[in-house]
Amino acid sequence: MSMFRNLDRRHFLRAGAVSSAVSMSGILGQLAMAAEASKKKPKRSCILLWMNGGPSTIDLWDLKVGHENGGPYQEVNTTAPGLKISEHLPKIAMHGEQLAILRGMTTKEGDHARGTYLMRTGQLPGAAGIQYPSIGSLVSKELGDPKAELPNFLSIAPQRFFAQEAFGPGFLGPVHAPLIVGENQAFNNNQPANMLDESLKVADLSKPKSIDDASAAVRLDLLREMQEDFASGRPGQMAKSHAAAYDRAIRLMQSDGAKIFDLTTEKDMIRDKYGRNLFGQGCLLARRLVEKGVPFVEVSLGNWDTHGQNFEQVKNLSTTLDAAWSSLMDDLKDRGLLETTTIVWMGEFGRTPKINQGKGRDHYPNAWSTVLAGGGIKGGQAIGKTSKDGTTVEERPTTTLDLLATLCMALGIDYEKTNPSNVGRPIRIVDKPCNPITEVVA
Amino acid sequence: MSARLRLIAVLALLAIPSTVCAAEPAPKVDPADAIAALIDKHLSADWAARGIKPAAQTDDAEFVRRVYLDLIGRAPKAPESREFLDDDSPNKRALLVEKLLTLPGHAGHFAAVTRAAWLPQTQSNFQLANAGFQFENWLRMRYRDNTPADEVVRKILTVQFNVNSQNPMIRFVQATGTDPDNNTLVGFYQANEARAENLGSAVSRLFVGVRLECAQCHDHPFARYTREQFWEFAAFFAELNPLPANRPNLVGPVQPQSDKNRITIANTEKRVVARFFDGTSPEWTADRTPRQELADWLTHPENSYFAQNAVNRMWAHFFGYGIQDPVDEPGDNNPPSHPQLLEDLGKAFVTAGFDNRALMRGITRSQAYQLSSKMTHPSQSDPRRFAKMNLKGLTPAQLFDSMVAATGHREPGFMRQNQFNFNAQPNNPRSQFLNRFASNEKVTEANTTILQALMLMNGQFITDVTSLEKGEVLGAIVDVPGWETKQRITALFLSTFARNPSPEELEKFTSYVDRGGANNDKKKALADVFWVLLNSPEFLFNH
Repeated sequence: MSMFRNLDRRHFLRAGAVSSAVSMSGILGQLAMAAEASKKKPKRSCILLWMNGGPSTIDLWDLKVGHENGGPYQEVNTTAPGLKISEHLPKIAMHGEQLAILRGMTTKEGDHARGTYLMRTGQLPGAAGIQYPSIGSLVSKELGDPKAELPNFLSIAPQRFFAQEAFGPGFLGPVHAPLIVGENQAFNNNQPANMLDESLKVADLSKPKSIDDASAAVRLDLLREMQEDFASGRPGQMAKSHAAAYDRAIRLMQSDGAKIFDLTTEKDMIRDKYGRNLFGQGCLLARRLVEKGVPFVEVSLGNWDTHGQNFEQVKNLSTTLDAAWSSLMDDLKDRGLLETTTIVWMGEFGRTPKINQGKGRDHYPNAWSTVLAGGGIKGGQAIGKTSKDGTTVEERPTTTLDLLATLCMALGIDYEKTNPSNVGRPIRIVDKPCNPITEVVA
Repeated sequence: MSARLRLIAVLALLAIPSTVCAAEPAPKVDPADAIAALIDKHLSADWAARGIKPAAQTDDAEFVRRVYLDLIGRAPKAPESREFLDDDSPNKRALLVEKLLTLPGHAGHFAAVTRAAWLPQTQSNFQLANAGFQFENWLRMRYRDNTPADEVVRKILTVQFNVNSQNPMIRFVQATGTDPDNNTLVGFYQANEARAENLGSAVSRLFVGVRLECAQCHDHPFARYTREQFWEFAAFFAELNPLPANRPNLVGPVQPQSDKNRITIANTEKRVVARFFDGTSPEWTADRTPRQELADWLTHPENSYFAQNAVNRMWAHFFGYGIQDPVDEPGDNNPPSHPQLLEDLGKAFVTAGFDNRALMRGITRSQAYQLSSKMTHPSQSDPRRFAKMNLKGLTPAQLFDSMVAATGHREPGFMRQNQFNFNAQPNNPRSQFLNRFASNEKVTEANTTILQALMLMNGQFITDVTSLEKGEVLGAIVDVPGWETKQRITALFLSTFARNPSPEELEKFTSYVDRGGANNDKKKALADVFWVLLNSPEFLFNH
């Protein structure tokens, strides 16, 4: 049931005509069904699992068991022969043949702000005054349908305080900005269930309960007249953008798409499987969004900045990650969506192989890991090798641009394509020099 | 401009020197009037040459709302608008400007806007947020005291400090000396991470109006500056980047500055000496530091870069676009739209002793500033010709402060102090607004997002202020005994748009309310009208 009734007579007449026509004539009904089917044609999607704070990849994907830098964890086998990961990711290990672990990551930015910006845009902040778009905006622009009901880029529970702009659309403009849900809840990873449900909904999506449908409809009509009056005297992009944003917001309020954010319609068993925490439920929401055709969804998991007590914290985070990601992979596979959904797992940098006095690890961009999985990715392998002590990359050093170019290839995006920037210079989706890791691209 | 002011301006231009006319000294001209005259002279000449027909002058309602927003960062409250509209004095506009300049909101608004322009990194990187607050406090005092622009920059450049670099992750800038002001002033250096190359970039961009950053790593692709020139400029801040312990042997006599004005180009072995990028060098002596030399060069009355850049940025504040736009990217591919105007205004600013308020007065007295934003002729469409006022977006603070003024929302002191700090505090509507509306878009290209539209339509704050039970201004307007509907509608318009409704608007809304709206309830219908006005672009933009 739509929350507003559009009082436009023509709209009513048109809607009435179609519904009566469908019931009277089989042809229109078949046409309607064909339209539905074409809408269900598989689209490419990308899910970014963003690990905020610098995840300790040496304790997740590239363990140095037995070495003094190794720490207390053991490795487990995955379903891919020879590929081993942390014992605290047992369910993910069952998806080993889907994972392409890039163990040769080497970047130069060990600062949260700069590292976050670099990994999420491929560039250093402030370079030449250009406002670089985040990878989500770049990808969703290529893969998304501008007329879609839902925005093409969703960001779930981001923690943007390190680098606000790295989560934005930069010079691509606000049309490619993410719709953000669950923000400012990110520190409260374990919340009572109903608060969690509410926090993952689009803020202010429902009209206030104190306003009835009739009033709401009339208000919108009057507002539209004010918007038109204003725009007629002041042509230009600002007034248009205002009216367009209101239109899109109203469409979102009235659409079925908004129901996606209501997780109470999922079975409890499924919700428990993902984990009743912000990240777990966020991944469940990501699956629902991808099912609906949203081309780019990112889900953030924070508190990876383990300068002290690394092993306790990483174990907890691994458990959270394990439940959510494995469930996500299971569900996508069951729905036949895994072939068309590429998943990328990364943070802003890794952590020091040498364990510090507080039993923690500090920032370390010199040698760390990221992971690609799913659509367009040849899993079951690790590319790149670090030294025995984990401090340097010995084989296949991989830069940020290499990773992003590989991701684009997997998604079928031409990373050399350019967009016009805010200073006029055309900017490639992924800058050069970049050497995509073709060995992991299917 | 009134006839009397125009006459004074004409006399100023004639400027009969006192030696010729022995009897009386030439009339003293308010520098603001000279500035206003310059602006109008150049712009109207440009319009005439291009066959541009400028827009109409603002009526009092347009003017009052615009000048409140531009000078004190909020729209006027209904009684303030009413008072101005009803005032009959011939020079009420200039008098209004004088009044606004003395309000505390003026210093607060300009400090916030200036900080956002000078230190944008403090609003996108939370590690630098505190430095931003510190420096904004310092700026507020300067605007309160109307410290001249050259002295402001001089103080910034010459403040004494130590850099504590014990922690390699973050370097602390600590003010030295006895002036307590310095503790907030060093926020400028802290926000630039106490690195010479960042200070060099910032100072050249903000105070010279030249963006050198591209040249930090390679010769600038579009402008004339080389990598070496970038680092020679950064070398004025060499004390921030200490040279490494193993230094090559010096050959020849030791320079007066020793190593204090030398810096190593990043990722190279090459060292350069501080030099201005026009190729000149100061006469180095042992008792003057590189930063003092830079301050002298920069604020010298004959340094046209400094004055023109300051004028250009002030212009952009009021007009939305600079005469040179973007304000920090001059070059062959970005010439000023009115080069002679910019040059003359630069000189006038120097003559006025770099007095910011004189510049603000001058701009707001010009006919050009007082043009309506309503387009009446296609020749007004190019924003760079300033033939109509450009539509400007509101900053998040302006938006919320205008909401408060229009709705009578009451907030405790600690909430009123709240600034954007990356996390929206629950139950704090100001914080929620600042968070939701934060953006670094150009003010003339502001876009609205879906989440912003949703907040304005359905958010808790808007629901409260438009409810009959909780809305202060709404409640007052609805409950006044003895008023006709017409009067209530007019009051709603005054609160939100600072104007009376047009006859058509009055008719439409009055009959809507008298019919009872959607629920046969006149009071609820009034609440509907208030909601519509607060969501309208006329409220949400500075026009």
